[in-house]
Amino acid sequence: MLNFILRRLAIAIPTILVIILFSFLLMHSAPGGPFTAERKLPPEVLANIEKKYGLDKPLYQQIGVYVKNVVTDFDFGPSFKYKNLTVNEIIASGFPVTIVYGLWAFLFATLIGVSLGVFAALKHNTWLDYLATSTAIIGSVLPNFVMAPLLVLLFTVYLNWLPGGGWQGGQWQFIIMPVIALATSYLASIARITRSSMLEVLNSNFIRTAKSKGLPTQYIILHHALKPAMLPVLTSLGLSFVGMVTGSVIIDQYFSTGGIGQHFVNAALNRDYSVIMGVTILVGTLTIVFNLLVEILYAWIDPRIRY
Amino acid sequence: MKTMLTTFLVLILSSLLSLTPGYASNSHPLTGEKLAENQVFYYRIGAESPSIDPQLVEDVEGSAISRDLFEGLLTQNADGTLAPGVAERWEGNAKKDSYTFYLRKNARWSNGDPVTSHDFVYAWRRAVDPVVSSPYASFMELTSIKNVSDILKGKKPTSELGIEAVDDYTLKVSLSGSLSYFPSMMVHTTTFPTHQKTIEKHGNSWTKPGNMVSNGAYKLTEHVLNERLVRERNPMYWNNDKTIIDKTVGLIITDENQAYNRYQASELYKTEVPTGQFKRLKKLLPVETHSNPRLCSYYYIFNMEDETLKNLNLRKALTLAINRNIVTDKIMGAGQIPAYSFTPGSTANFIVPDTEYGKMTQKERNKLAMSLLAKEGYSRSNPLEITLLYNTSEGHKKVAIAVRQMWKQVGIKATLENQEWKTFLSTRDAGNFQIARSGWCGDYNEASTFLDLLRSDSDQNDSNYNNPVVDDLIVSARTMDDPNPNYKKVEELIAKDFPISPIYHYTGVLMLKPYVKGWPHQNVEANWYSKDLYITAH
Repeated sequence: MLNFILRRLAIAIPTILVIILFSFLLMHSAPGGPFTAERKLPPEVLANIEKKYGLDKPLYQQIGVYVKNVVTDFDFGPSFKYKNLTVNEIIASGFPVTIVYGLWAFLFATLIGVSLGVFAALKHNTWLDYLATSTAIIGSVLPNFVMAPLLVLLFTVYLNWLPGGGWQGGQWQFIIMPVIALATSYLASIARITRSSMLEVLNSNFIRTAKSKGLPTQYIILHHALKPAMLPVLTSLGLSFVGMVTGSVIIDQYFSTGGIGQHFVNAALNRDYSVIMGVTILVGTLTIVFNLLVEILYAWIDPRIRY
Repeated sequence: MKTMLTTFLVLILSSLLSLTPGYASNSHPLTGEKLAENQVFYYRIGAESPSIDPQLVEDVEGSAISRDLFEGLLTQNADGTLAPGVAERWEGNAKKDSYTFYLRKNARWSNGDPVTSHDFVYAWRRAVDPVVSSPYASFMELTSIKNVSDILKGKKPTSELGIEAVDDYTLKVSLSGSLSYFPSMMVHTTTFPTHQKTIEKHGNSWTKPGNMVSNGAYKLTEHVLNERLVRERNPMYWNNDKTIIDKTVGLIITDENQAYNRYQASELYKTEVPTGQFKRLKKLLPVETHSNPRLCSYYYIFNMEDETLKNLNLRKALTLAINRNIVTDKIMGAGQIPAYSFTPGSTANFIVPDTEYGKMTQKERNKLAMSLLAKEGYSRSNPLEITLLYNTSEGHKKVAIAVRQMWKQVGIKATLENQEWKTFLSTRDAGNFQIARSGWCGDYNEASTFLDLLRSDSDQNDSNYNNPVVDDLIVSARTMDDPNPNYKKVEELIAKDFPISPIYHYTGVLMLKPYVKGWPHQNVEANWYSKDLYITAH
């Protein structure tokens, strides 16, 4: 197991380097640059600015300087758009916010989704099953950019129960709506996968054996059915988590949380090269780490899986 | 006895309270309106600013923040007229190529340091310093200050800039030529003073709350990226006694509909009117929905180097066939003004000239357009094929679709193309277009801020318009006492040569809670200052 983890981590480094290379080339191939503006800069001023940010060097040199700074100083460079901020500061201010509501959304989606799915599978083909399934589907049909304004209309404008946005350091009133808006679409897919996976497990031979042994249903579910049923769910959970972090663009825009999500889109539109690179590396690293975690969990759940 | 004593004590206490500068539960000193307990102004910021450093700020939102935190030589009254800022008085010489500003002696930075002329010298040199690379360095060129172009080109050091601290409170500016409207440019953020010691100590991080030292009515107390920006009363400000608003909270909300939701919940007191909602909201909330004339123009640029558009008749036909009233009334619907001139009529001292096509009815215009097209061999059955480029946006799309329909009526077949903003700018800059949408807001309240764009050697001259008479008129206008006759002539030439097709002049649309008073609705530059606002009891 340890060997497996070490091998994975070793591969992670060249993976990240390839990500850096491709992102660099891709973003420089887009027309326009960070200083393309309606109010054109006089050529001398533009030349000065480009020199200041190292954009006058050839591409291979720029990548070289960038990688060196990241590896030796953990310095992701200055933002090209936000003149008084560095990428490190931008990530430090946004990432904790996204992680907080991302984790809560993940917990919420997982707990409710799995429970709904198990419940639906147990009460298979009864009205309770249909209720649980349709609730889940409604959640998946409503994308978060529809959920968000609906939630605000309900809880802020009409009921005046919750603030319409902001973060204020992460007090609970500001976390609720972003979590619900983000979690609902994932909740649905988790519920559906849990339900079908659970159904399959409940119909398998070893469960039939357990039932014929006279074991109580609750015991069977908790001790025999849940773990194997979780395997397919785990795959989707791993993807869901990264998705929740990256898909937080809408949440950040709507709820003004100051999270990192909106930077994914804004940085590209701004041609803010260093921020683009910074968040790409961040997401790439997260994906690698979570895929690894999921694979480790697989091994724990299913003793037959050995690396 | 007891009640007399109590009454006496109450009287003493209340008169003592009324002497303190806190305005809570008081009345407005001039209008007598009852003021709210909480003088906090909440408003929507549409997007995080790239910087609020006065020499680097380049966006509208950032400028509003800078104007609260810093104060320049001059400032503006609610109607946009000039008022003393750090400078109590100023004078220009007879030739109007040298100005002297006399600074007030009680202006202070938020840390107690006096504001002196040296602060302005430092700031202006910073604005043109190649190392600082200000995106608004070109604004300093527009002021005609001596040696600015050479300094920007790196030929001269910043110390040669035509600004001099005669003594601590006297500032002398030397221009390379006369400029009668130079003082009106002193309200612009790029000319605001900055605190040298702070910038040298903190470098790029000097704009963080706690680091920043500013000389305006407010100081920065909180700034969370993409969430909020809070500024609070600066007791060191020389005019602090007149400031009523204690705190201004800017909430960064990118989505305008979401902003409106929060406005409805009274979490904000000011926001923009969501696109297409003006008419409905004007009916629903007439007192809160505003449409104010703005110093901005919306127009289509013709690429005069394009084979087809080299032809004047075709450019004229394209311009004539647009029914501007439909665009402003039916599509925009927020009080925009149909434009037949490049410069908006609301510009100070500018008189909108009568243009030939401005006076016709649309029917007459269409008829003339069709006859011009016929001259070139085009008609409804053999339409002129042309492409129109605009930057991706629902609003621009609607206008473009409508214009395409209007052109179809007279025998022009337009293909619409839209590109993401920066891609669009690159394309337009490179001249890879036939007709491109454009918008421009004035940097200062004078017609040259628009007309200068059509000078043949202007960086902004995307239409490649080249008329030496126009160039001459614009350049000579700078040194005239009354340049307006020249501006009139330039507009008349634009209406003859058709390098562009003006479409409408903007209005600034906003929702404002009725208990927020003092808003400068007449200021066409939309420059607002928190220190001029106040909140009445509600």
